[in-house]
Amino acid sequence: MRSGVLLVSLWASAVPWTVDPAAQQEAVVRGRVEIGVPITARRPSSAYPTRSVPAPALAPASERRHVVVYLRDAPRQPVAPMRVALRQRDESFVPRVVAVTVGSEVDFPNEDPIYHNVFSLSRAKTFNLGRYPRGETRGVRFDVPGVVKVFCEIHSHMSATVMVFDHPWFATPDDAGRFELARVPVGDRQITAWHERLGDTTLNVRIESGRPVSADFTLPVPQQ
Amino acid sequence: VKNPPRLIARTLAVTFITVALILSVVFIVLMVEARDRVRAAEMEKLGVAERVFTALEAARQQDQLAAIGTVAENPTLKAALDTYFTESRFTGLPAEQEISLRDTVTLEVEKLAALTRADVLAVLDSGGHVFATAGPSAADWPRGERPDIAIAVPSTLQGMAVLPSGAFRVSGAALRLVDRDIGALLLGTRLDGAYARELSNLAGADVVIVVRGVVVASTLPPDVTGALGRQGFHAAATQTLQGEEFAIRTLLDSGPARIYTLASIDAAARTATRDALLTLATVAFGAFVLAGVGSLWLARTLADPIDRLSGEIAMMTASRDLRRPLPPTGTSRELDALAQAFNELMEGLTAAEADTRAAYLGAIRGLAATLDARDPYTAGHSERVSALSVLIGRQMGIGETELEVLRLGALLHDIGKVGISDQILRKPGPLLPDEFEHLKRHPGLGAHILRQVPFLGPHIPIVELHHERPDGRGYPFGLRGDDIPLAARIVHVADAFDAITSARAYRPARSATEALAELHAYSGTQFDPASVDALLTVVPLATATPEPALQELLGRQTV
Repeated sequence: MRSGVLLVSLWASAVPWTVDPAAQQEAVVRGRVEIGVPITARRPSSAYPTRSVPAPALAPASERRHVVVYLRDAPRQPVAPMRVALRQRDESFVPRVVAVTVGSEVDFPNEDPIYHNVFSLSRAKTFNLGRYPRGETRGVRFDVPGVVKVFCEIHSHMSATVMVFDHPWFATPDDAGRFELARVPVGDRQITAWHERLGDTTLNVRIESGRPVSADFTLPVPQQ
Repeated sequence: VKNPPRLIARTLAVTFITVALILSVVFIVLMVEARDRVRAAEMEKLGVAERVFTALEAARQQDQLAAIGTVAENPTLKAALDTYFTESRFTGLPAEQEISLRDTVTLEVEKLAALTRADVLAVLDSGGHVFATAGPSAADWPRGERPDIAIAVPSTLQGMAVLPSGAFRVSGAALRLVDRDIGALLLGTRLDGAYARELSNLAGADVVIVVRGVVVASTLPPDVTGALGRQGFHAAATQTLQGEEFAIRTLLDSGPARIYTLASIDAAARTATRDALLTLATVAFGAFVLAGVGSLWLARTLADPIDRLSGEIAMMTASRDLRRPLPPTGTSRELDALAQAFNELMEGLTAAEADTRAAYLGAIRGLAATLDARDPYTAGHSERVSALSVLIGRQMGIGETELEVLRLGALLHDIGKVGISDQILRKPGPLLPDEFEHLKRHPGLGAHILRQVPFLGPHIPIVELHHERPDGRGYPFGLRGDDIPLAARIVHVADAFDAITSARAYRPARSATEALAELHAYSGTQFDPASVDALLTVVPLATATPEPALQELLGRQTV
């Protein structure tokens, strides 16, 4: 059911072929995202760490869909705009996190039997769609890359994140946590997994032509 | 000689001393009891204060939590805060964006602070650092500072926050977004003098706030607070500060902060003691007045009848009238019994005196009779003169007491003849001049004899002067007129009357009429005219008197 909610329209095939064809030096990055909860890492209070380890209760699988994996410091690429729906249902935004390309249009259909409001104070896009009832849909076009926090003025606990990229190397894991970044240019690259609560986790990978690279994340990474 | 005190002084003294003793005991008991009562009352007061404080604080916390729960739902605040941290983590915030978002948060916080009227309303980020503040004490919460917060009730974020510039009671709520906390909103009440005064008004007692063992606010006088700072709080219910005993109770013990309430037992005891003393003084005044009036009345009811009795007795003594009985006072059985006993005593004395008088009259009569018996011609002379003198005296209105003197004096008037020889007394013819001179000594002799007997003093003039004459030619002194006592004049007349109506060896007896005529003839010269007149009146009446001597005397004239 949830997979149907995400209306990312075949973004992989939509990315235009814009990498320098002469190089043809690119590879696919595949990986898994795992979320370990609780998030609080107990620091050892003595030289010998305590033997009792808190039972690693895993976050629900759906939480993995709130992670965005992307290529850090990627070169700007022309990208095709997308159209994504961010529904307001049961006093929450569904999905809570979406990643789109620059120029994409995000619709905010109200599916609740009550009024909602959608606004943002973010730099990438500051807007306020006002209040509107069930059945109505209002949309916003995101032209600047960055992170956009979206809230409802009526229901202060509602929150969603729209991540806007000016390159095609980003992905949202599926329920199993699997993701794939296609055609990543070769070189020493940084792949970052972002989560609204757990922050950024970055892996250094070396991309070599034609060789698939594996990048597995376990969030959170204990802070140093 | 020690003069005993008056009855009234004694009753007053006893009553006042008793009242004073009772009042002293009551005073001591009151003082001891008052302090215990005050101590218990102050403890109870602090207990009530604690309950009131707890109840009010619970209500206040509830209100604050409700307010802060609403405040924590402010969408703009949360949106700005979440946007701030999400974006700064993602790519970093340019300066104008950071200022704009922070201002947005601060503006919201200030609006909310104005609504809640808290000392401080602070937004902490998820790391516990101060992000934005508003309120009068906002300056005490510098941005970026991580306040030391001891949470007493974890679910509601209630507890104590300690910052370098002061301590705050806080209650707060998490700023929640979907299912995560993006920070916390804290409502802080500064633990300062104003808060202490507010609590003090609530508790009705002094309040001291201690943070980490240091007194930060107190409504006590500075010297007492200073002593408290030096001593610290003992774990006792009472503590002595600057010489005053205080009852102490903990209102709040939360993390590093403690709030105590104190009440001075001594101050309350002073008030209670003053009230008790005032009441006691009023009671004492009333008691002394009542006791005084009561003992005055008692003394008067006792002393007045006694005074009356002693006045009566003094009057009886002065008037020598012992026959009248004392009247019963009617005030008390004891006094009436005393008067009764006195009356019986007086009756007994009177009876005994009458007996004594009778006995001694009998003896004197016997003596006079013996004297008279020496000469047959004068037998019964003394009795007759005595009886006649009494008749004359009574006729002249002489009092009973003097009549008694007259009766006895007349009986003894010739007692001096004991010293006169029979030759002269019984000489059957006229006396020679020297014999008469000898006879004239008998009044003096009689007086001399009577002087030997103390209680015959009043009778001496009668015996000594019964031969004096108004014209001054009597013997032994030749006194005149009124210089001669009346009793002596009467006896002189009666003596002459009996002598004339008696037979002598040298002449026969003459009749009473002749005697009266002769006495009348010499009235004013030889005899006292008043006495002679009285005699003239009484002689015809004398026939009715039962006196045997008189019967004899008057019967003679019929012979």
